[in-house]
Amino acid sequence: MQKQPITPKDIINNYGATFAFVIAIIFFSFTSMGFFSGQNLQNILVQSTSLGICAFGLTIVLISGEIDLSYAGVIGLVGAVLAGMLKEGHSIGLTTLVCMAIGLGTGLLNAILIVVLNLPSFLASVAVMFICMGAERIYNQGITTWIRDPEILSIVQAQVGPLPAGVLYLFVLFILCWFLLTQTRAGQYIQALGDNIDAVKEVGVRAQLIKFMIFVVAGLIFAFAGYVETLRIGGAVMYAGKQLMLSVLAACFLGTATFKAGKANFPGTLIGAFFLYTLLSGFTGLGMKFYLVPVAQGLILIISVAISSVRRGKIEQVQF
Amino acid sequence: MGDQDNIVIKAERITKSFPGVRALKKLDFEVVRGEVHALCGENGAGKSTLMKIIVREYIEEEGNIFIEGQNAKDLGIRGVQKLGLSLIHQDLNLIPMLTVAQNICLGREPVTRFGTIDWKAMRLKATEFLTELTSEIDVEERVENLSISEQQLVAIARSLVTSPGILILDEPTARLDLKTSDQFFSFIEKAKKKGLTVVYISHRLEEIYRICDRITVLRDGSKIITSRVNELPQTDLVKYMLGREITQQVPKEKVPIGKTRLTVSNLFPKEKGEDINFDLKSGEILGIVGSIGAGKSEVARAIFGADPRKKGTISVAGKEVRINTPQDAIREGLALIPEERRDQGLVGSESVRRNITLAALKKKFCGGPSWIKQDKEIQAVKETIKALAIATPTTEQEVQFLSGGTQQKVVVGKWLMSDSKIYMFDEPTKGIDVGGKYDIYKLVVDLARQGAGVIFISNELTEVLSLCDRILVMFNGQIIKELITEATNREEVLFYVMGGRDYAETANNS
Repeated sequence: MQKQPITPKDIINNYGATFAFVIAIIFFSFTSMGFFSGQNLQNILVQSTSLGICAFGLTIVLISGEIDLSYAGVIGLVGAVLAGMLKEGHSIGLTTLVCMAIGLGTGLLNAILIVVLNLPSFLASVAVMFICMGAERIYNQGITTWIRDPEILSIVQAQVGPLPAGVLYLFVLFILCWFLLTQTRAGQYIQALGDNIDAVKEVGVRAQLIKFMIFVVAGLIFAFAGYVETLRIGGAVMYAGKQLMLSVLAACFLGTATFKAGKANFPGTLIGAFFLYTLLSGFTGLGMKFYLVPVAQGLILIISVAISSVRRGKIEQVQF
Repeated sequence: MGDQDNIVIKAERITKSFPGVRALKKLDFEVVRGEVHALCGENGAGKSTLMKIIVREYIEEEGNIFIEGQNAKDLGIRGVQKLGLSLIHQDLNLIPMLTVAQNICLGREPVTRFGTIDWKAMRLKATEFLTELTSEIDVEERVENLSISEQQLVAIARSLVTSPGILILDEPTARLDLKTSDQFFSFIEKAKKKGLTVVYISHRLEEIYRICDRITVLRDGSKIITSRVNELPQTDLVKYMLGREITQQVPKEKVPIGKTRLTVSNLFPKEKGEDINFDLKSGEILGIVGSIGAGKSEVARAIFGADPRKKGTISVAGKEVRINTPQDAIREGLALIPEERRDQGLVGSESVRRNITLAALKKKFCGGPSWIKQDKEIQAVKETIKALAIATPTTEQEVQFLSGGTQQKVVVGKWLMSDSKIYMFDEPTKGIDVGGKYDIYKLVVDLARQGAGVIFISNELTEVLSLCDRILVMFNGQIIKELITEATNREEVLFYVMGGRDYAETANNS
């Protein structure tokens, strides 16, 4: 087996989006108002936290060859319950447990619908998303609830060294996810599932069980993202998850355009999350109106999906 | 068979049925320790089903399976694997994105004491098993970058990881090139001496008589006979498989050779191959042989416009034509029946009718801009089904439920419908049973008789020698020899396929 020499074309193909990221930063430093200030860069990091955490949950699911859009509902529901329970005077410990239980519950629901009952993951998870949004609306009556206790807010907002705690959670979770995927057996099977599930079953691995666990873990991560998002903002805004829906997808698919031949991967998602907010922050500095943000995100999503499809297409043989 | 301890696999009165697919009917089957046991039968006879039941991927409806004396009812997939049983599927089931080492060790990754994967041990383990197969594949390479032959070896190496006592191989050589097949056979012979039991499913008579001790023939889900291989003449074996006697394997007939249909000059395919020159006349069957990776398919795909080519001109009936896409090729009357017909030639979930008329729909059956004349279409499809003897219950049958040989005919039917004059068959008989092969040969000869030019790419020398008028031997991307069938023999062809030079001289010297 002869190794192919690496050409400049391969490098552009493999790291093109990373270059684009660097170029964007340079571009905005010169053109965008106040872009390259320490404050703004920290803002980008902070704003990316809950988005990034949530995108990790989605990335696991994408790697295994499925999709889970329920996060858009789970984040909002967790936020509403978190703010609501604290307002009613419950302890933060109990509240945190309930929030995680919501993630566990929605994760289990997804797993049962998709893995046990064999429903298409796209439809099942969208249904769960709407159920969560409905539950959120019932629980908080559509009213924004603020959290004012600084001690509780410090769980996410406290400065740890140069960075807020929330950003630290993002990096810790990234290292955990990356380690799980690349250094453990379970990680091997998750990658393999997305490529060829029969091959995994054939060697006697319980593929269905792994898939089940993926959705449960993703549910927990989504709940955690909702928890961090709420404490970052300092309250539960109505349908907070909806705001993140497009950004999380865009971050994951920017990730597929960054590393690894058009496949979802954790380093890619992390960079994708930063990239996304860099672009948004940069454009805002250039004077983009806030209502155009979804349009920009939609365009970014289309471009990144297109890049990664083209790259997949190159690897697979041309068919006719 | 007095010694019960020596029976490693015993299947008793196994019955299994699938919706719409032929079943196993009260089938008995026995494998003795240390033998290489061939399992033969036409496609759909139940070979793969039986093997999947033995490894517990399927569960029988009636009957009992005993592995090493234990009732398989109590064992899962893992359970039979623990008893040393390992099955290599026909479809390789590898994971393209992972490396060779990761694939070989899948499900059995060595771990460090911290529970993380021990990459070094994994590489060593993978290398060790590949060495046993005398292969030098780089274990760090991703599987998607390997040739099909190499992928097959990786699949075999993976099955060795469990250090199996019983190895079940489902048509392993269908994907191996000639040289690798030889290495593989010597591996089997070595392993047999160490006490390995092998169940060997194959469509190739030559291999069965070379490496197998006993043989069981299945037909329509029932066992027809179990015999020692050397006590069963080849003609009888074919008879048992088919249930009817085939007197002549290939129905070659003399067809007058006409004018030149296709001229290929200075063709450099992009993927593999250089400076290919040949022509094809009407009524002629031109064989292209060579081991896997010699560049045969690449030539066909480059001519057809399915892959880009670096350079080269193609002339149809003496006139230079521009072919850059398959659409161009179809317009010029070319047809390619690809090797991976299920991926490239057919729409599996569509009906026989839809598949057959796909290429000609616009030309023949459209009234208005997109109005399909159904009566006319159905009539034409029925005629094609009859002409090619396509074994389908109705014109609306989904092709994915048809056997491999029948699917192949559907692809041919599609091209017949679009009035092609030059046919390129790429390994048309791969994985097809004896009866299906015969039908394909007949079809090829019929096409030639009707004045078409046929390019017949194959790895099986027997069929090429008995079917083709001329044979081009490819080696390493080049045509190294052109042979006239009447003036050559099997040994000479194989000599050139293996990259030899100047057969006459070598034969004289030895």
